[in-house]
Amino acid sequence: MSMLKRDDWYDLTRATNWTPKYVTEEELFPEEMCGARGIPMEKWESYDEPYKVTYSEYVNTQREKDAGAYSVKAALERANYVDDADPGWVSTLQAHYGSIALAEYAAVSAEGRMMRFSKAPGNRNMATYGMLDETRHGQIQLYFPHEHTKRDRKWDWGHKAYHTNEWGAIAARSMFDDVMMTRDALSVAIMLTFSFETGFTNMQFLGLAADAAEAGDHTFANLISSIQTDESRHAQQGGPALKIMIENGLKDDAQKMIDVAFWRSWKLFSVLTGPMMDYYTPLEHRQQSFKEFMQEWIIGQFERQILDLGLDKPWYWDTFKKDLNETHHGMHMGVWFWRPTVWWNPAAGVKPEDREWLEEKYPGWNESFGSCWDVITENLLEGRPELTGPETLPTICNMCNLPIVGVPGPNWEVTDYSLEHEGRLYHFGSDVDRWCFEQDPARYKNHLNFIDRFLAGKIQPMDLSGGLAYMGLAPGEMGDDAHNYEWVKAFVQEIQDVA
Amino acid sequence: MALFPLNSNFQGDFVIQLLPVDTENTMDEIAAAAAHHSVGRRVRAQPDKVMRVRKHGTEELFPRDMKLHESGLGPTQTIDIIFADS
Repeated sequence: MSMLKRDDWYDLTRATNWTPKYVTEEELFPEEMCGARGIPMEKWESYDEPYKVTYSEYVNTQREKDAGAYSVKAALERANYVDDADPGWVSTLQAHYGSIALAEYAAVSAEGRMMRFSKAPGNRNMATYGMLDETRHGQIQLYFPHEHTKRDRKWDWGHKAYHTNEWGAIAARSMFDDVMMTRDALSVAIMLTFSFETGFTNMQFLGLAADAAEAGDHTFANLISSIQTDESRHAQQGGPALKIMIENGLKDDAQKMIDVAFWRSWKLFSVLTGPMMDYYTPLEHRQQSFKEFMQEWIIGQFERQILDLGLDKPWYWDTFKKDLNETHHGMHMGVWFWRPTVWWNPAAGVKPEDREWLEEKYPGWNESFGSCWDVITENLLEGRPELTGPETLPTICNMCNLPIVGVPGPNWEVTDYSLEHEGRLYHFGSDVDRWCFEQDPARYKNHLNFIDRFLAGKIQPMDLSGGLAYMGLAPGEMGDDAHNYEWVKAFVQEIQDVA
Repeated sequence: MALFPLNSNFQGDFVIQLLPVDTENTMDEIAAAAAHHSVGRRVRAQPDKVMRVRKHGTEELFPRDMKLHESGLGPTQTIDIIFADS
């Protein structure tokens, strides 16, 4: 049977904006769900997705992708890679699965909202595939860590994390709830697919895949590369939507959505991907520093995309570029210092050769963040491990839900950007976090971060044991130093060499 | 006397921390309580200096013997603790 070429029928078959007969257009597309912002239906028909695919093509391609990823896993399963892998890399895997797998599954709902409620037929079509993509990503990233649950309960957090009140899970849930679970279809296209997926999933899924391949973890490298091929397709839903918004006089609205979602994404990646790339991945397996990856994927590619669309760089771009040198180092130190509160074992990543690398990649690191690690290292060397753990909680930002960190040492610069709103005092880790809050206080004002919950008496007893129980962290799940403090021995050797 | 939460921003440290104190505490006692969570953990002691307290982002130091309830600080406000000569 002769087949028409896709180009000959695609546009006709996806033009499904019928004139409703039994309900009104408003009933078919409630504004709170579709968010068309007054742009008429015919304008949405000009939505032109750059990546066109048919269902049969999609299914064939996805089958091949799954076959590839699952076969590599099956082939390498008996090699028991994780038993011999560097503990820092194992921590990267555990942190990744817990942070990502169920967020992907939640994204099914976000894609589903665009699939049903977007007024753009092309968007609805792409989101159908996007929804199937996210189903695959949820399933595959739950399945892969599951084989390791016999090794360690931390692997179980691939599924468990988002069901708990662990602080990192609260932070991730807050961000994803904001950009994808509680927004209309148009906002999801811009805040999730354009702002988050275009830039940041490249970081997690391509940047980390490069490190994984270097570390010899071909199972994980194949898995996340396979996922990214889907991300790079469905991330393109936002671009055409932005074009229509700009053409119809809604550039400011679009810009604000990008600015909020980009910043929230950045903060989450500063605590997740930053430590993985610059501290957890063994030095010899690092492809680039976190900052270099960010410069390539975000400063280079994302910035160009924004400008090409006729939008502006976010107003805080200079702050963001400065933060690339600082924020994730503070987040890493916080995670390591409060290590019982995470479901993986943080790798300190500060052996003498690591510190040389950090100083090379981030000039001034030894004087700033290194000054704190000096004290920590001395405490471990001199038998005071109790001083390398916390006796209180860090102050948490009311936007990103992460600790308020800054630059330590002689050029000390740590700032609480506070705001009193309707009689409540809020604390923010940056002026941008505070700005995000000010854009829509009603959306954010009732959320309680971990400290708010603690002070409200929701965490009992009001000490570390109560906090860990509230976070769902049982013995065997709480983090400790990934290398069991063996890294400190390198300093003993160094001292002996000097003597 | 009442338990009172402040946020401690300690000079040289990398993070702001929750600091439970008492409304009857003096500024010197508050500085010492804050030091417990920073000095010797991530910040080196400076024995030749005095730890002084100020409202975050301001320059004026609170008197060392001023009690918290006299300071005008509210719950969860952030204080800076800095090393000073006197």
